[in-house]
Amino acid sequence: MGRNRSFDEAEVVALCAAAFRTNGYEGTSIDDLVQATGLHRGSLYKAFGSKRGVFLLCLQQARATDAATDETTDLLLVALLEVAPRDAEIRSLTFDLLGTSTPPRTAQSLGQRLIDRALEPTVTATPKESA
Amino acid sequence: MNIVTITPTAIIVEPKGLDKLWSFRRRIIVPLAHVRGATFDPGANEEPKGLRAPGLAIPGKWSGTFHRDGDTSFWNVSTPARTVVIELTDERYDRLVLTVAEPRAIVDQVNGALQAR
Repeated sequence: MGRNRSFDEAEVVALCAAAFRTNGYEGTSIDDLVQATGLHRGSLYKAFGSKRGVFLLCLQQARATDAATDETTDLLLVALLEVAPRDAEIRSLTFDLLGTSTPPRTAQSLGQRLIDRALEPTVTATPKESA
Repeated sequence: MNIVTITPTAIIVEPKGLDKLWSFRRRIIVPLAHVRGATFDPGANEEPKGLRAPGLAIPGKWSGTFHRDGDTSFWNVSTPARTVVIELTDERYDRLVLTVAEPRAIVDQVNGALQAR
């Protein structure tokens, strides 16, 4: 038995997605998610089960928006690079996202985004605290 | 340190050696249906663990059953860099926090087994 939830799941997922886009999947620790969302570690686990569970919801949220924005593309790139090769469910969800977005994402557009992203000024939105 | 074995239907956690004694658990068996997911979480060791009953808590080593914020967790951790958190439901424990030899492999195996179910 735990306490009742008192946060907006969609909002928390969006904050986590931002962390994943900036730091990658493996590079985002639970500490980073705790810091990004302001939730307790225990609440995060209780709500989402695992880091993978959070990431899955991030992808589902991206699919629900149904628009090929840079944000969703960045998340997709993280998923393709780090998670899809070893996770069947996330792989099928990413491929689903590739096909259904409007306009559809192609190998060309993904590669272009990767290059554009590298040229964007670095957004150090979540600097690591040394403490 | 713990040995975690994943079968097609369950995960089995066995504290190694004297950890059986400190943690008061020889073996924990959880059906996969009650497992929500696994996460590699080196930072988990830094969290307040809550009230211990029963178990051992000395600096650098936590072993046993802990209660915090209405959650009951099983901890058997020593090496922060190799900590895995396994979230459960409808079990005696809400959460298992374990030091394992190969955390990333265990996490992928558990999450993979949940999909294969």
